[in-house]
Amino acid sequence: MAQDAPSSGSIVVADWHQCKDSKEYFSKILHKKRRKNFGLLESPVMPPHVAVDTVHYKIFISGKSGVGKTALTARLAGLNIPNLHYETTGIETTVVYWPVKLRENGRVLFFRLQLWDCGENTLRRFDHLLPACKEQVDAVLFLFSFTDRTSFDDLSNQIAKWTGTSVKLVVGTKFDLFMHCDVPERDVRDFQETWNLRVLRVGGEVSDGLGDVAPLLNCLAENLWHQDCVTAGSANRRSQQDTGTLL
Amino acid sequence: MMMLQHGSTQLLCLTASSGVPLFTRGASKQLPFSVIGSLNGVHMFGGGQGVELSCCETEGGGRVVWRVFQDSVMLIAVSAGGQGGAGCSSSKVEEVRLQRLLENVWSCMVLVLGQDELTDVRNVERLKRDLRSCFTLIDQLLEERQEGILGHLTHCADSLLPPNPALLQEAVDGFAEAAESEFGCLVVHGRVAAATEKWWRLAPQEVVLLSALMRSLSASGSASCDYPVFLPKGSPTVAHRLLRFQLLPGADVCVLCGPTPSLHRAQSELVGSFWTPLVETLRDCLAIGERCLPGSVSMRPDVLAVLLINREARRSVSFVRTPTNHLPSEPPLPSKARCWELLKLFYIFSTTRYFAQEETLSVSPEERAQRGHHEDFVLGFSHQPLQCYLVTEECKSYGLQTPQHQLFLLTPLSVPTFALRTLATQTLSDIVAATGF
Repeated sequence: MAQDAPSSGSIVVADWHQCKDSKEYFSKILHKKRRKNFGLLESPVMPPHVAVDTVHYKIFISGKSGVGKTALTARLAGLNIPNLHYETTGIETTVVYWPVKLRENGRVLFFRLQLWDCGENTLRRFDHLLPACKEQVDAVLFLFSFTDRTSFDDLSNQIAKWTGTSVKLVVGTKFDLFMHCDVPERDVRDFQETWNLRVLRVGGEVSDGLGDVAPLLNCLAENLWHQDCVTAGSANRRSQQDTGTLL
Repeated sequence: MMMLQHGSTQLLCLTASSGVPLFTRGASKQLPFSVIGSLNGVHMFGGGQGVELSCCETEGGGRVVWRVFQDSVMLIAVSAGGQGGAGCSSSKVEEVRLQRLLENVWSCMVLVLGQDELTDVRNVERLKRDLRSCFTLIDQLLEERQEGILGHLTHCADSLLPPNPALLQEAVDGFAEAAESEFGCLVVHGRVAAATEKWWRLAPQEVVLLSALMRSLSASGSASCDYPVFLPKGSPTVAHRLLRFQLLPGADVCVLCGPTPSLHRAQSELVGSFWTPLVETLRDCLAIGERCLPGSVSMRPDVLAVLLINREARRSVSFVRTPTNHLPSEPPLPSKARCWELLKLFYIFSTTRYFAQEETLSVSPEERAQRGHHEDFVLGFSHQPLQCYLVTEECKSYGLQTPQHQLFLLTPLSVPTFALRTLATQTLSDIVAATGF
């Protein structure tokens, strides 16, 4: 469960994208300095002598209408963020490839994260959508907006609905709009303690680089990998000792 | 004869009963509220007098077209006056373009929201918010951003003729069947490359709209979707599921299906097994680019642009060659973008004056007679024209129709007019012989 969430940087090398040795891997997910778009039949191709395994995960993005689920998905995938808000019709999934280096043995893995984004209203209107999103899901990102108090208050409801999924992260969007901030830091701290869930923050201008998405993607990868290890019965002892040191 | 320049078009949407503005799109500078009110008012006034106002022309050569759909939504299109020579024929051309636009916009709204939500309005604010989901599609219609997409106008599916059609056809058929659907379609560069037989039995307008939807979903960069769609003709009140998968960037496959399979299952179990063996075939298909014809079709060098319609199948292929001037002494050739525009204008010109346009507008026969696009003198013809040509300051254009096809062709001014007919018939037979289109 959430209690043994690994602390940041304990399993994967944080800020690896800035290291020199990561270059040949990250170059595979970039094209002309932008993120490369992969079709379902494609994946990053490494030269034959550098064999890299790819691990597949399905991640559902949950949150009240208008918190920025689609914008976060686009940001993580390096796609254009729509400039006008409108309700996402139905389900849209987006694939993000992210190379990660494991701290323990220096092994490199490509994480293939498929993000499932579904408009809240269509979710209510068509009842076949939610089961499709829940099918074999590996993680849920719970979104709230720093500018919308109700979205923060609604988190506990949202989280309660996903009892079966073990990897849960909370992401606060529009963190840059501090002038309109509706969720004080104190409340976020209290929330983290009560739920023992990590709260990540995003917002602000999208930069061309990988820097603004790396913390979130690494954190997600770390939690997913950790979960897999736990399930496989080879949990990393160290990570359990680190419980409590939250971001 | 001058042909009209495309002006900017603004679209207004209001509730038909109370005139509450629902949205406006197009043109960066919005019309003032008072003007919108007057445009609605004048239509309403006509209605009170038992007159239906459908179109008018302003002194500056601008045009306004009104249309009420299902007694619930009023759409108004306003286009700025064309530069110069907005003579009789070009204003007719503009009217046809705007009528088509309104028709298409309404269909988009039904496609995304369903007819019930549009006709049974309980909460206007909510409808306004929901209508935003249609904006990407509507903007696509207004801006006509993607060159070489003419389906909105012709109501024929823009197609791409792949070098290896049999393999792709087999894959689409198999994939659709495995997804428990009879409706499957492969879209490459925004054009239909292969589709199941049933797909072609959808209303032509639906085929065109679904292609447009696929283009906008594909442009968002997402890998797959489960998108509820209402078919404006076939199923305006009950949603179907459009499952779409991006196989390669630029190549998407979709199926229209019922409650099963789930997106998750279709993607994990079906996509890979049906399409992985065809990656190279798909790449070959992408490599044709926007020429839409396989390399085996050789085109005469003096052809600037072609639009070929298969009348029975309601499909079209079109392409514009990147212009290259041979001699500095020759007059400059129109740019690629201008060629697309000229091709569209020549299509409207020919179909309103001479050729029958396959009627796909959703109007009753009586209404059709009223709003018929043909000019009076055409109706006076005792015969059906088979070929027509037009020489302008920019290019020469030639159109011909057979029971099976319509061909529209642009050439540089340097081609002698007497050679146009041979060039056109030759082009038609070359394409048909090589592709069986």
